[in-house]
Amino acid sequence: MFTIEQHYIDEMVAHARQEAPLECCGVLGGKGGRVLRLYQATNAEHSRYRYNIDSQELFRINRECEENGWQFLAIYHSHPDGAAYPSPTDIRLAALWPGSLYFIVSLSSPEKPGVHAFRIRDGEVTEEELRIV
Amino acid sequence: MAVTVYIPAPFRRVTGNRSYVDGHGQTVGELLEDLRTRYPALGDMLQDETGEIPAHINIYVNNQDVHSLQGKATPLNDGDEVAVIPAIAGGQGLSSDQLQRYSRQIMIPQVGEAGQRTLLDAKVLVVGAGGLGSPAAIYLAAAGVGTLGIVDNDALELSNLQRQILHHTPDVGRPKVESAQETIARYNPDVRVIPHRLRFTAANALEIVAQYDIVVGAVDNFATRYLLNDACYLAGKPYIDGGVFLFEGQVSVFIPGRGCYRCLFPAPPPTGVVPSPSQVGLLGALPGVIGVIEAFEVLKLILGLGESLCGRLLIFDALTMEFRQVRTRRDPQCPLCGDAPTIHELGDYEAFSLSALAGHDAGQKEAV
Repeated sequence: MFTIEQHYIDEMVAHARQEAPLECCGVLGGKGGRVLRLYQATNAEHSRYRYNIDSQELFRINRECEENGWQFLAIYHSHPDGAAYPSPTDIRLAALWPGSLYFIVSLSSPEKPGVHAFRIRDGEVTEEELRIV
Repeated sequence: MAVTVYIPAPFRRVTGNRSYVDGHGQTVGELLEDLRTRYPALGDMLQDETGEIPAHINIYVNNQDVHSLQGKATPLNDGDEVAVIPAIAGGQGLSSDQLQRYSRQIMIPQVGEAGQRTLLDAKVLVVGAGGLGSPAAIYLAAAGVGTLGIVDNDALELSNLQRQILHHTPDVGRPKVESAQETIARYNPDVRVIPHRLRFTAANALEIVAQYDIVVGAVDNFATRYLLNDACYLAGKPYIDGGVFLFEGQVSVFIPGRGCYRCLFPAPPPTGVVPSPSQVGLLGALPGVIGVIEAFEVLKLILGLGESLCGRLLIFDALTMEFRQVRTRRDPQCPLCGDAPTIHELGDYEAFSLSALAGHDAGQKEAV
């Protein structure tokens, strides 16, 4: 169970819509399981099928979180036409940050965006229940 | 050189939970070797089988990504701070429908899934939805070029259908950009068509061209051709030019800095010397051939395949079925892309105009 405030969900959906048809991406930093800041990042791939957080932005976000004693609690990205479920690429590259939760925003039904979160460890995907407050 | 290496949370399991470790080396490459001897598991994460930095590992020296420095050869100084941070990356990838639809091109080793994604992310502008633009746009759409802009201000005439295969008989009287959009959607729903129903002029050319990666000229008049050439050069976009006349066609590719249409043809033929294309007969298969070559040149540029026609003018004689090539090069005297250019913005192109715009057939309508 992961607790997250509604406005962070809204911000992720708004970011996904703003970047569509390209994928958007970002990081939720926080402490003790509580999200304290959402970092919108630049998708260096500028792609409808790939994301990769701009390396200089990643450096800055990582440093700011370290300085605050925060962790990358969650990483988010959008699937502009795909389902809110990790793709094979998502699963493969999630091995790089195994401790983070992965949020995926699906815009495949534009009026009804889907937001789901997953733990991805050793190629195993488990959906995390969300408590939105 | 002794440096400090920052280790982020996901890698600390292999450094005994330490956030910083010491390292040595004259370069980033030497440092990675040093780390590998002392932290074998970390070393394996920071180098692939060939000893290169893996695609999804970012290495920074004093806050700068080494990709923007000298990569593994980036020199180190005493006291430098090096950071190794895994990328945050992924993506929805191609759907199973897309893998099937494009399977015949994905199986080309130089294309593959990565090439297909590049095509789907590409944005190409086709100026003219007539005899050249139709086959060009159809093959680009079928190949999965994800965004296709189509510029045309005309309505379809019955006499267009003999060569303009983007359109169908019931479309007569409709705006060509509309029927083009419908035809492309039936060929490939992956393609986002952006219709530009307007006259392409010096006032709007730069703004339109700026939204795309590559521009295909599919017009039959010199005013628009020179305008396209200048707009593409000023916007830094590759321009593929095609033209047909009677039984002959021409194609070339102009990449900014490597010559332009003005280097090859400093001025259009004098008014009256060449009859207006709309007065000259044409078999539709000729613009078919030339438009398809234009599409192939676009696909090559997007995928980085082979040698583009940049630096060559290809001339096709349909009657003898012969292709000839003329070498072209940047002219240092060129007023647009030469050493001392005099054209810095789009000017007046009406003076170049000696023919109707593509799609107006003689006897149907007055020239634009």
